[in-house]
Amino acid sequence: MKKTTPLIKEKISIIQELTYDLKVGEVMKKEIITVSSDNLIYDLRNILREKRISGTPVVNKQGELIGIVSIEDFIKCLASGDINATVFSKMTKNVEILYEDELLVSAINKFDRFGYGRFPVIERGTKKLVGIITKGDIIHGLLQRLENELQEEEIKRFRASHIFEDIIADETTLKFQYKVVGGDFSQAGKVASGLKKNLTRLGIPPAIIRRVSIATYEAEMNIVIYTQGGEITAFVQAHQIEVRAKDTGPGIPDIKKAMQPGFSTAPEWVRELGFGAGMGLNNIQQCSDKMILRSKVGKGTQIKMLIFY
Amino acid sequence: MVMKLREIVKELNLEVKTGDDRLNTEITGGYASDLLSDVMANAQKGNIWITLQIHQNIVAVATLKEIAGIILVNGRCPEEDTLQKAIQEKIPILVSKLSTFELVGSLYQLGINNA
Amino acid sequence: MKLHEIKEILEAEIICDDTNLEIEIKMGCGADLMSDVLAFIKSESLLLTGLINPQVIRTAEMADIKAICFVRGKMPLSETIKLAKEKRIPLFSTKLPMYESCGRLYQKGLSGCSEYKDK
Repeated sequence: MKKTTPLIKEKISIIQELTYDLKVGEVMKKEIITVSSDNLIYDLRNILREKRISGTPVVNKQGELIGIVSIEDFIKCLASGDINATVFSKMTKNVEILYEDELLVSAINKFDRFGYGRFPVIERGTKKLVGIITKGDIIHGLLQRLENELQEEEIKRFRASHIFEDIIADETTLKFQYKVVGGDFSQAGKVASGLKKNLTRLGIPPAIIRRVSIATYEAEMNIVIYTQGGEITAFVQAHQIEVRAKDTGPGIPDIKKAMQPGFSTAPEWVRELGFGAGMGLNNIQQCSDKMILRSKVGKGTQIKMLIFY
Repeated sequence: MVMKLREIVKELNLEVKTGDDRLNTEITGGYASDLLSDVMANAQKGNIWITLQIHQNIVAVATLKEIAGIILVNGRCPEEDTLQKAIQEKIPILVSKLSTFELVGSLYQLGINNA
Repeated sequence: MKLHEIKEILEAEIICDDTNLEIEIKMGCGADLMSDVLAFIKSESLLLTGLINPQVIRTAEMADIKAICFVRGKMPLSETIKLAKEKRIPLFSTKLPMYESCGRLYQKGLSGCSEYKDK
C-alpha cells in the first residue's frame, strides 16, 4: 500500500470536513427533466435520446415525486411490446431519495449503500422534487468549495490589514517606490499591478483599490509613452492613499488643453495599441479625490493623486 | 432590412454634428472599431461606423472606405479639425450618449445586421 | 449571463483551458481604446476587443473585468495569454466582428455598462 504523505492526509481531512459542511442542495443540479405519470412509455424515446440521460423522475401535477423511470424500463417494454403502457404502470414507485438539506456525507453513504447512479432530491417540507444529484455533482461541488477555501486562505495569510492598528504612532505611512522604464510598452502596467497587489494585502476596500489602480496605470502609461522614464511612489495611510508620478520627459505645454477629453499628441502607433486617445489625464482626475498636475516644458511632469477612504 | 441614416438618427436620438443634408443615405450594415487599420481593412462601403476615435484621421478613413456615416459614442465631442474635414468631405458625423455595446445593440435590434 | 452562454452566442473558442464557465457576467463593453475601457467599464463585465497586446490584460486587472473576448478571429500574443493565466482572467476568441458580437449579446439580454442598475 502506498503511504499517504502528511500533506495529502491534511487535504483528505479537509474534504471530509467539507462533506459535513456542504448540503445536498448546494451541489445538486437544479435543472431537471421530468415526465408526468400519464405520459406513455413511447414518449420516453425522445426524452432519453435527446437529453442523453439514462432515467428521469416522474412527478404529479403538484410537482411531487412519485417514481422514477429508467432506460431499462423502456427497453423491457420495447422487448415485450408494451410501448403504449403509461409511465405510471411501469415506473419504480419506491424511490430512494435525498433531502435538499441533508449533509453531503450522508448522500455519499447512500450512493455507497445502494449503488445507484443518481438520486432525486426532495424539499423536506413540501415533498416537491427540487433537483437531482450524481456522484459527479458531489465531486464538482467539493472541488469548487476547496478551491474557494484555498483562495481565501491565501488572502488571509498575506493580509496585513491590521498593520495600521498594530503600529503605535499618531500617523503611519507605508511608502512603495517604483521605477518606470520609458518606451517599454511590454512592461507597462507592472507598477500598477504591484501596487494593486500590495493594497489588496493591506485590506483596502476593493472600490478604492480599483480607483488607485486605474489612476496609477494611466500615469504609468503616460510615462512609458511620452518619456525616457520616471518614478511612481505611493504613500498609504490609514485613511488616504497618495500616488506621485514623476518623469523627466518633454513636459506639457498647455495643461488646460491636455486635460480636455480626447485631446492627444500621441503618434498613430500608440493609438493602434489602444492608448493615446486623450483620456488618460481625465481618467486620473475622475479616479482621484484631488489631483495636482505640474509640468515644465523640457524639464518634466509631476502628478499627485489623492484618494481618501 | 434597408434603413436610412435619418431613421437611425430619429430612432436612437443621435445628435447630428455634420452632414444633415446627407441623411438620406441608405445603410448597408454596421462596423464597430476604434482601430483605423482595422476599419481600413474590413469595413464595407455604405456601412455606418461606430467608434470612440475623434481624431481627424477618422474622416480620411471614412472617405476612402465610402462609409455612410460615423457615430461617435460615449457622448464624445469631435475635435474642431475633424468637424471641418467632415464638412469638406461630406461625411455625416453623429453623436450618441450610449456606449459602443449599447448603441450597436440598439442598431442590431433595429434590424441593421450584416447577415 | 453565464460565461458558457456567452461562449455559445458568440461561437467563441476558449483560449485558457481551465476556464470556469459558470462565472456570471453582468455587463458587456466593446472597445479598442483602453483608457475608455478604464473610464467607463464597471466590474463584473465582459470586455470585447480587437486588441491583443498584454495591456488588455493589465486593463482588465486594474478595472476588475471578469473576462475578455477577442473579436474578428484575433488570437492574443503568447505574452498576453501568459499574463492572463497569471491573473486568472478567462480569454475567448470569436470569429465574429465587434459589431455582430455586441449586437448578439445585447439582443440576448446582456446590458451595457451605462444602463446596468445594481439591485
